[in-house]
Amino acid sequence: MPNETGPNTPIATAARSVNRLLLVYQKEVREIFRDRRTRFSVIISPLLITPLLFALMGKMISNQVADAKAGQLQVGYVGSPSSALLTNIQKSDPNVHWANIKEDEIEKTIKEHKIKAIALLPETMESDVAADKTVILKIFFDAGNDSSNSASNRIESLFEQQGRQVVAERLAKNSLSPELATPFKMQPTPISSGGTAALMILSSLLPYILAISAISGGIYAANDLVAGEKERGTLETLLVTPASRKDIVLGKYLAVATVCMTSSLLSVVGLLIPFYSRLPVYNWLTRGGGLSLSPVSVLSILFVQLPLAVLFAGALLALSTYARNQKEAQTYLGPVMILVMVPSMMSMMVKADSGLSFALIPVLNATLVLKQALSGAVNPSFMIVAVLASMLYAGIALTFAVSLFQKESVLLKA
Amino acid sequence: MILVENIVKTFDVKNAAPVRAVDGITLECKPGEIFGLLGPNGAGKTTLIRMLATILAPTSGSASVAGFDVVNQAQDVRQNIGYLTGSASLYERLTARETVRYFGSLYGLQANEVESRMNAIFAQLDMAEFADRRCDKLSTGQKQRVSIARAIIHKPPVMFFDEPTSGLDIMAARTVVKFIKQCRDEGRTVVFSTHIMSEVEALCDRIAIVYKGKLSAIGTIDELREQTGESRLDNVFLKSIGMEAE
Repeated sequence: MPNETGPNTPIATAARSVNRLLLVYQKEVREIFRDRRTRFSVIISPLLITPLLFALMGKMISNQVADAKAGQLQVGYVGSPSSALLTNIQKSDPNVHWANIKEDEIEKTIKEHKIKAIALLPETMESDVAADKTVILKIFFDAGNDSSNSASNRIESLFEQQGRQVVAERLAKNSLSPELATPFKMQPTPISSGGTAALMILSSLLPYILAISAISGGIYAANDLVAGEKERGTLETLLVTPASRKDIVLGKYLAVATVCMTSSLLSVVGLLIPFYSRLPVYNWLTRGGGLSLSPVSVLSILFVQLPLAVLFAGALLALSTYARNQKEAQTYLGPVMILVMVPSMMSMMVKADSGLSFALIPVLNATLVLKQALSGAVNPSFMIVAVLASMLYAGIALTFAVSLFQKESVLLKA
Repeated sequence: MILVENIVKTFDVKNAAPVRAVDGITLECKPGEIFGLLGPNGAGKTTLIRMLATILAPTSGSASVAGFDVVNQAQDVRQNIGYLTGSASLYERLTARETVRYFGSLYGLQANEVESRMNAIFAQLDMAEFADRRCDKLSTGQKQRVSIARAIIHKPPVMFFDEPTSGLDIMAARTVVKFIKQCRDEGRTVVFSTHIMSEVEALCDRIAIVYKGKLSAIGTIDELREQTGESRLDNVFLKSIGMEAE
């Protein structure tokens, strides 16, 4: 009772092959999304991670603003408390409290963080100022401590402010215009459509998050699909069906790519939530013409994020095919994650408008386009080269996975 | 239906000489017979079956299954075989019905054909109760019935059973044994590998004793008894591989 295999024309054979590939794909996708861990890493996590991060940043920023408003700063000085200049400075900023310190206790006081910075006022300060001389003021602070640095800057700016008043008095005494000592007065004016400091931070951080989302969603699925099947012995039952090894590996690859793309797309959706939900916790993003995400930027993000997902799917599948079991696949994953994280992190340091050669570096190229998109300045030629390069690398990874799938020494080791 | 001619399979081993897992076996299996492959673990039974099922490519020699060459017509061979092994598991997150439907479709069966065959098999194997339950929720015996249904859905003329009862309790093993007999009665060619003597005695029409990759003896059980002069099958086996009978 022989079974019929159907007509053997090239078209019929190809159609059967595509049909089997799609059957494998459908089955894999169905099984993948029935897994709770995968649902969490592919759907829940990418949707929530960016909104949560933005909300957290908003909360931190509002806390910092509140702290700065109510900020009381304790600084010190060495010298006479009866100095008229010191009294003027104390009056100019009531939030800064001045403590009189003995000269031999400067080092100890700062080191113990009792007082953040101390100004050493020379005994001759009043008379030197009156005699139109320059007074040398030493400000002691801990260069390795942020708050000590900012306290030192605060003292410096208070004395500079007082200094401008002294200059004005000196000029007036000599019947000269105050403008004589001010040939230039700077007025930095950010353009209203430009970015903000928050935007700079976000455009550095977000590409990293989006790249990690694209790969992390596919990790479990890829491991389960080949290494897991080897371990459980189900791959053998699949290999004895008429589906060719190429049909099987391509079906599985498409399934992993679908998972990586879903994870990527949802991470972009997660990115849109803070901008379009109008929740109060995200007000800081758009306040004062801050960050905006135009449809062009969103499309650009998708355009580079998808080839990146395809590349990750190929790499993950090759890894899973090579591994004997899921545990071994997890072990190989460590170095791969570093290979993904390092270029993603590099995007924080590399300028968004870097040369075209950067568009050839896998992962970094995509994260740089994301960075460009977030700052509203996508370079089309950079983007096209980046997409083509990612697709080329994805092709190489997939070819490698397919060739591994043909090797019985790799496929049947468990 | 199965012709094997001087087939060899070697595996490369790191820093050592290649291992000849199957070393020049020649045999023939006919439709309507259960052909037993008897041998200890590591004898080469699984490697031989894997070559006949086109999972592994022979290093040399040739074999044809259901009239198709295992190397040049591998896809046709796979279309005509069923494969059941005791070590394979099922897709845990698919139901029994989804599993069988998936394999039926991979064999190119039309949807209505898969459904009607599946219903018939499920009724025959008494699977209705758990047909829509996920495989990870099934007992070992129920899983084995799903595996049988998966292996037979395309009505293959040749069936390979590689230690199909390993790890099964007596009830589940009984279902498998019954199924193997049924395959023979339906006129299929059945290759059955085992190291359990009682199963060989109960099932096999002819047996091949495989040891260290080579064929030590071949024939019906009676023929082998006559050749060795032993009545107990374990002694027949020991004598065939050149060891002293107990």
